[in-house]
Amino acid sequence: MIFLLVFHTLVFSYWVFHIQSLVDAALGMRNVGERDSASGIDWVIQGVRGLSLMRLRRPLMALFSMALLCSVGFSAASVQARSLVLAIQGEPETGFDPIMGWGRYGHPLFQSTLLRFDPQMNLQGDLATSWVLSDDRLVWRITLRDDAVFSDGTPLTAEDVVFTFNTARDADGLADVKALKQARVVNDHTVELVLNKPRITFLNELVSLGIVPKATYGQGYARHPVGSGPFQMVEWREGAQLVVKPNPYWYGQSIPFERVTFVFGGEQTGLTLARTGQAQMVAVPPAQADQPPEGMHLLSVKSVDNRGIAFPVVPAEGQTTVSGAPIGNRVTADRAIRVAVNQGLDRDALVQLALNGHGRPALGPVDGLPWNNPQAHQVSYDPDAARKTLNAAGWVDQDGDGIRERDGVKARFKLYYAAADSTRQALALGAAQQLALIGIQVEPVGASWNEIKHYMHQSPVVMGWGALSAGEMRNLYSGATAGQGYFNTGFYQNAEVDQHMAQAEAAASYEDSLAQWQAAQWDGHTGFGVKGDAPWAWMVNLQHTYWVSDCLETGPLQIHPHGHGFPITHDLPSWRWTCEP
Amino acid sequence: MNSWWGRLMMKRLCRLVWLLPLTAVLLFTLVSLAPIDPVQAYVGARMSMIGPEQQAAIEAAWGLDQPGWIRFFHWLAHLVQGDLGDSISYNAPVLTVLVERFPASLALMGCSFLAAFVVGSGLGVLAAACQGRWPDRLIRGWAMVISVSPGFWIALLFISIFAVQLAWLPSCCALPPGVTQDEAHWWQYGRHLVLPVLTLSIYGTGPLILHVRQRLIGFLDGPSARHLRLHGMSSTRLALGPGSRHALGSAVTVHLASIGELFGGSVLAETIFAWPGLGQATVKAATGADAPLLLGIALVTVVVVLLGNLLADILAAWVDPRLRIMPQEETLPRLKRLPWLKASARLKTASRLKVEPKS
Repeated sequence: MIFLLVFHTLVFSYWVFHIQSLVDAALGMRNVGERDSASGIDWVIQGVRGLSLMRLRRPLMALFSMALLCSVGFSAASVQARSLVLAIQGEPETGFDPIMGWGRYGHPLFQSTLLRFDPQMNLQGDLATSWVLSDDRLVWRITLRDDAVFSDGTPLTAEDVVFTFNTARDADGLADVKALKQARVVNDHTVELVLNKPRITFLNELVSLGIVPKATYGQGYARHPVGSGPFQMVEWREGAQLVVKPNPYWYGQSIPFERVTFVFGGEQTGLTLARTGQAQMVAVPPAQADQPPEGMHLLSVKSVDNRGIAFPVVPAEGQTTVSGAPIGNRVTADRAIRVAVNQGLDRDALVQLALNGHGRPALGPVDGLPWNNPQAHQVSYDPDAARKTLNAAGWVDQDGDGIRERDGVKARFKLYYAAADSTRQALALGAAQQLALIGIQVEPVGASWNEIKHYMHQSPVVMGWGALSAGEMRNLYSGATAGQGYFNTGFYQNAEVDQHMAQAEAAASYEDSLAQWQAAQWDGHTGFGVKGDAPWAWMVNLQHTYWVSDCLETGPLQIHPHGHGFPITHDLPSWRWTCEP
Repeated sequence: MNSWWGRLMMKRLCRLVWLLPLTAVLLFTLVSLAPIDPVQAYVGARMSMIGPEQQAAIEAAWGLDQPGWIRFFHWLAHLVQGDLGDSISYNAPVLTVLVERFPASLALMGCSFLAAFVVGSGLGVLAAACQGRWPDRLIRGWAMVISVSPGFWIALLFISIFAVQLAWLPSCCALPPGVTQDEAHWWQYGRHLVLPVLTLSIYGTGPLILHVRQRLIGFLDGPSARHLRLHGMSSTRLALGPGSRHALGSAVTVHLASIGELFGGSVLAETIFAWPGLGQATVKAATGADAPLLLGIALVTVVVVLLGNLLADILAAWVDPRLRIMPQEETLPRLKRLPWLKASARLKTASRLKVEPKS
């Protein structure tokens, strides 16, 4: 019996650790042979129907009619005027507390923020009616609207804003407000946010931190949120669904839906809900996106959810990080290699290969965002140019094995990718094949993040980023973040780039900062773009795919950040229903 | 009576005392060795917007900056006070997560357990009663097929047939989308239970059918059955009466001992059917390296599995007195009380009465 118990524990842990891969495998199987499996199922159905005609007519008819009765009762119960069902994943398991990080992607639903980005990424006031930065760039003076009311009926005042910011600064959640020195009340409708040092990207906090009520915020808040946003919670059954209804106290436009339901669960759940007509919007994996069910269409949203190769840019000289991870790579330390890789990548082919066509080539880290500098990332697929670049730098194949070398060093490196991510695997394998054509040998290595963490300063890694804040560029390319976590793994450092980014952070306004961010990428003689130091070779930007009911009008959509699913809710309050209910 | 099951309970409680800490240590080691960084799992896609300072603060807040064994003893110290710790993936006390999610899993597993037992043993008895004829062959074939079919495949097949193509049953969740618990009817809960229960129970029926069939055939071919048959008992009565008692006793043991697999299966069923139970939380805890939650779930599992085994032993011993733990000398005399010996004795007298008038 003891052995049985131990055995069961083992079986249990086996299931736990392999369940995700099993389910993935099942879904993958469906991806690969979707047509075949569908026809197989059709065959089974036909078999059942054929049987019912031939032999088991009576009992099966009884079963049919019973089922019919059930389904009639079912549909009668679930039809409600203009209620919306979304299966777009993204359940915040930790709850709906902005101070712990809720509401960073998509709409915070229950809370409202000081500022918002419109779909074209222009800043707009939400709770704030004016926002002014002091001349020393250290104090934001923000005037609040006077008609904001929490969903429990109490008015929102400067006290609540100050409380939210100060609490978030000290909290250990997923809202990084450490740049704030102090928030203080000026009067009932004016607050001042004092920063530690000039930092224009602090605007991102004004855009994403939802304001909570000082009076009732406490232990249970995350699961029973109260805010001044467009919705209030009806019910959250964790792991199953979230039901919200419009907040009657909201100051914005009227919302044409009685109720909005977010169904959680895996991709499979969403797909079947769409196929059975129970959901009006579903996040679908790109591989299965091309055949939406009747009454729905495919919505493919642009994103900066990007994937690229981060190169170690310093030569290997035996140095290591504090934790003993080796730093430097003698091949990728040469700019010519990095530029040649950029020229030798056929990004269109990679989009087809890894994303089933649902993506666009990525040239830089922020393609399509206001702070992007297209000049900096001018590169196109050109193997001949890549070969020329390598020849000019002295990388020549002398021994005829198809791999170039210079001073006895072969032009080859390992390319790490997260083994659990099939997209990154496809990208790594595709890149290796393409680069073999220009004489660079790439050995793709699938590993866990823990392993990657050890080797990422020594070998190139397939990484993915894509936040809607220029602060991300600073984290990836600043000399100050070299070797910090997953930021700047290649120890890239360029004093002029750092200078431009520091100037951007010290800009007088969001609009003024854009020029400096662009200069950091390419200022005419240097930058972190391909034209400059090329510490990265960006490959693709994902496109986030959804099936949307033909009756649902979502209006213009904001470019999506990293993370498929919930970001689509960014403008949920302005969605419209175009059919009769 | 008190003596045999009292002794059994004592034995099992002693086992629990060393088994629980052992499980905890093993599982904690396993979680620590897993190639997952809990902070990274917690931060997820927002890595780029969480600076090093904030990451350090998160690590410190969850005690993840300390070595594994210190965290373990910290957890143990809290456990002694009845505190299972806090779950990083749900940002809530582990006990709250367990209490919130256990009922849904219990409903799913309980229904599947009963359904599997009724269907499995019923088909097993039927197969044995029709040994060698077509129902037997059909049932055996069925048992073989489901024994070798992967559970997730069965689930996906059911969804495609019953939910998508025929649209008879809901494909997911515990309730229809948009319906709150207050508005839900009992039959909606029932409808949503059907497919998950079917998936979870069907897998357990395979071994059960084969086991019951084998035991019953063994009995029916044995000397006591032949004896009863000679005395005029019909094959059907034999299979359903003393035969099923003989087979079901051990079937209960086999089935109750498989509770652990039920837990494993529920992880799968809950993932596929978006069932908001403990299985879903297990996946979340495992992929997020959420040690306290995983340990909490494991402790619950161990206790339930142990209770299942205890119940199996008690039931088995209740059905078959030979299995009761007895001091050695008491065992033999009690053999006299075996039920079918008594029954055959009764039959003997009955048949004698029947025979005499004829002659």
